[in-house]
Amino acid sequence: MRFFKNWQLPLAFVLFFTGIMLMLALHAVHGEADSPTQQKNKKLITMVQQQEEELEQLKKSLHDKRESLNKYQKSLSEGKLETEKLQYELDKLLILSGLYPVQGEGISVHLDDNTKGKELAIQKNPDTRIEDFLIHDKHLLYIVYELRAAGAEAISINNQRVIGPTDIRCVGTTIQVNAERLGPPFIIKAIGDPDNLTRALETERSQYNILKMSGFPVKIEKHNNLVIDSYKGSYQFTHAQPKEEE
Amino acid sequence: MWVPFLGLLVGLLIGTALNIPIPGVWAKYLSIAVLAALDSAFGGIKSIFEERFNAAILLTGFFSNTLMAALLAYLGDQLGVDLYLAAVIAFGVRLFQNLAIIRRELLNIWVEKRRLKKRKRDNSE
Repeated sequence: MRFFKNWQLPLAFVLFFTGIMLMLALHAVHGEADSPTQQKNKKLITMVQQQEEELEQLKKSLHDKRESLNKYQKSLSEGKLETEKLQYELDKLLILSGLYPVQGEGISVHLDDNTKGKELAIQKNPDTRIEDFLIHDKHLLYIVYELRAAGAEAISINNQRVIGPTDIRCVGTTIQVNAERLGPPFIIKAIGDPDNLTRALETERSQYNILKMSGFPVKIEKHNNLVIDSYKGSYQFTHAQPKEEE
Repeated sequence: MWVPFLGLLVGLLIGTALNIPIPGVWAKYLSIAVLAALDSAFGGIKSIFEERFNAAILLTGFFSNTLMAALLAYLGDQLGVDLYLAAVIAFGVRLFQNLAIIRRELLNIWVEKRRLKKRKRDNSE
């Protein structure tokens, strides 16, 4: 029995590797044999699991969305009052700035050059100053300020909205308002209490009255619903800046 | 005596534990290699009974047979000839021959032992 000594280890070695390979091969062949149904089943199982996971995630996201929606609705109802207030302020400021077209009761003042008076005067005296028979920028300016003093809330001259920075000045034979050249006849629209405005213009020393007495073809019309266009120019502030609060 | 069985057991356990996924294409070559390995192992066992066991022959035969079997099968697949069948037949036939020899040898040993025992008992009586 001497061969027992040296055959054990080599044979153990060989059988060891054979065992490993046998199991691996069995496993591979087994897995291969079951592939059509088992792999399909596995695929289906993973598919179901994936779908379930997706469903779970969707449920979660739905929940989150609902929660955020609730939050927004809550904050919306809470902020509604504040936004309404802000919107009211904004509207007021836009009307004040002339960026909104406005409507309401008011008057329109019609002014034109005194052509008839001019011709009569020239017939009498050829050296008459014809400037005295024209509507000048100063007349418009005075009338605008008289209207403002009487509480006019919006004013326009020939549909040029008169706002804070509006310029009214003489440019040659025309009058420039909002850098727009205007010629006679002039129609000044003003929204405000019609009676107050008319009364203010018809006082003895008002510019309107002076023109009327001088024989200019002027008239005042009262309107129940007057529409005044918005300011079409730009607002530019290159120098003025809001004062920083301390 | 039990060392080879222990080796086989450990190998089987490790093979199960490893659980390496073998691609379907390679499974066939691995099976051929297993056949070659079994052939070598049984050849080794047979050589013990024939009392001409050689560790070098066993080990080189084991490695070269497994590798060459798999390689030939692979080559056959590439050439379009089912060479793996040749390996299966060659190893299979030899496997059964070896098994038959081992069986006969074991039987001989068992019969011999019984005869010896009987003779002993006869002698004692």
